[in-house]
Amino acid sequence: MKSVKDIYLELSGIAIAVLLALACGFAVILATSSEPLTALSSLIIDPVTNPFNIGTVINKAVPLMLTGLALAVVFQAGVFSMGAEGQLYMGGFAGAIAGIYFDALPFWLHFVVIIGCAMAAGALYAAIAGLLKTYANANEIVTTLMLNFVAILTTSYFVNNVFKDPTSGGAARMAYLSPEVLLSKLIPGFSAHGGIVIALAAVVIVYLLLYKSPVGYELRLVGKNGKFATYGGISKNRVLLTSIMISGALAGLAGIVEILGIHGTFKENFSAGLGFDGIIIALLARNHPIGIVVASFFYAYIQVGAQTMQAGSDMPREVAVIIQVMLVLLVSAQGIFNFMKHNMRKKGGVV
Amino acid sequence: MWQSIWSQLVDMTLVVVLLRYMTPILLAALGGLISDIGGVLNIGLEGLMLISAFTSIAVGSASGHWLVGVAAGMTAAVLTCLGMGFFSIKLGVDIIIAGFAVNIFGSGITIFLMSKIFHVTGNYTPDQRTPIPTVNLPFLQDIPVLGKLLSGHSLMIWIALLAVLFCVALIYRTPYGVHLRAVGEAPSAAKSLGIPVNRIRYSALAWSGAFAGLAGAYLSMGMTSMFVKDMTAGTGFLALAVVLLGKRNPVGILIGSLIFGLASAITTIVQTTEGTAIPSQFVQMIPYLVTIGSLVVFEARKRKGAAVPATHTI
Repeated sequence: MKSVKDIYLELSGIAIAVLLALACGFAVILATSSEPLTALSSLIIDPVTNPFNIGTVINKAVPLMLTGLALAVVFQAGVFSMGAEGQLYMGGFAGAIAGIYFDALPFWLHFVVIIGCAMAAGALYAAIAGLLKTYANANEIVTTLMLNFVAILTTSYFVNNVFKDPTSGGAARMAYLSPEVLLSKLIPGFSAHGGIVIALAAVVIVYLLLYKSPVGYELRLVGKNGKFATYGGISKNRVLLTSIMISGALAGLAGIVEILGIHGTFKENFSAGLGFDGIIIALLARNHPIGIVVASFFYAYIQVGAQTMQAGSDMPREVAVIIQVMLVLLVSAQGIFNFMKHNMRKKGGVV
Repeated sequence: MWQSIWSQLVDMTLVVVLLRYMTPILLAALGGLISDIGGVLNIGLEGLMLISAFTSIAVGSASGHWLVGVAAGMTAAVLTCLGMGFFSIKLGVDIIIAGFAVNIFGSGITIFLMSKIFHVTGNYTPDQRTPIPTVNLPFLQDIPVLGKLLSGHSLMIWIALLAVLFCVALIYRTPYGVHLRAVGEAPSAAKSLGIPVNRIRYSALAWSGAFAGLAGAYLSMGMTSMFVKDMTAGTGFLALAVVLLGKRNPVGILIGSLIFGLASAITTIVQTTEGTAIPSQFVQMIPYLVTIGSLVVFEARKRKGAAVPATHTI
């Protein structure tokens, strides 16, 4: 059990890492921009100055929260899956098909069916990598990375051919779903859609699952000490499959929520790396559901800031990548945290 | 379609295309191999290749000489690897996470620099072209089939093949290679024998940067004469798969790269053939499916009891 002091140390360490990462980004802007102050202010201040941008930050945080949760679940089980991107495409694809073909259902049931199909498709697609690991011992990092490409290409084929909306012209997309099932705006005139409610509900459910249920206990135990868990009679393979399928379901949910909230239907290449952003979110949050909420909002804020900066100054939005990379590295730098702990103990006189 | 593949096989076009696709995979995979043997598996090959591809073409066209460009690309990749080493060896970042960060970094920084230096988005084609030269063998090039097979290849293809021999020598025939393997297999034992473990790890990462740098330079100055954003398009991940399949042996890496090169070559030929029945998306999937399939076969064979050294577990 972690003491309050340990948690406090961890949090302050993460805060320092975040500040350092931001400082690196600022340094790059100061060094390369001809109008650094404009660039900085459009990066930091613009995302929160008007309701539209705030709504965009919330909307961007929604899929990040869900993919972040998806990866936190597998990482806690000690499985290094990088397959959220592919599972997200499969989930979005299955959900969109359900949206088009089960149109006759009452809208609330239709909505439930869409979400259910998306989560099931994500979970089943993730199960492929899980089964390859349990039966053939195939390294999950490689299989999930490869399955991402397979999922993107498969859905690309279907959305360009079989399920292509005849009226879409050059765009590769399916027919738009009926507006009834789409996630409506929370407050009229404010751009945030209802996905945030789903994402926060998912955070609570995953928290309860991980920390208050036997499934979550087994999962974390295997992640912390696989040998001990096996000795205690827990089947490692079952935990691996469970965790990767829960993760896939969450990634599929992320895909369909993004479609119902933003795009209106399945479009080719609609995600652009949300599954990989989820890895960063999970790392930042130390795989904890509450941390994922904070990390997602922060990350979304930086992303929107990068866009407003690109629009309002001479800096390309890729500057945000420098901040992201430094965040990943600094937050996972055990050295910094150990150094801080060491210093604190010295001060406290306890060794 | 089969007819077209067959005719291209007969007139050696398939082999030529295969060698072109194999080269970046082979070079990057050799880099990944050395890092894996040293116990610091570098999954950032994709990002490193992008960094080198951009640096080498930018410096190459500015200086007017391809060799300067290649050297600059390799330097940039090696420096990135040393930075990766700093974070992972000095600050305790998991090597997989550090590699993941390098992949994001490589994609972002090249787009950023392309926009800042050349004011273009998407792709950059220099006015002054400085391609890596091709090697034309006198006399041999006039022989019908053999000429096409052996002559007229980019110099980098030969460098890649020689690099396999170089790696065999480096890993199995030098004191450095012994140290490298010792550090990878039992770091604490190596340390007790006085081997500078961390310095060896840094050097293993630097080697992976140097080879990924060569691979990247070939992408922008050999295969094409331009830089396109994210032009690696998964080559680094294929190389990573080759590393895991290659039984930690340079010759295994060569065989793996040949298989993936063949898959990519068939993909290109099928895509460019008129009236193909198979949709391009499914053809593009071949290398990825081959990777998964060969991983499964390899693991199945391993479990049959063949003596294979302990592999890296993550």
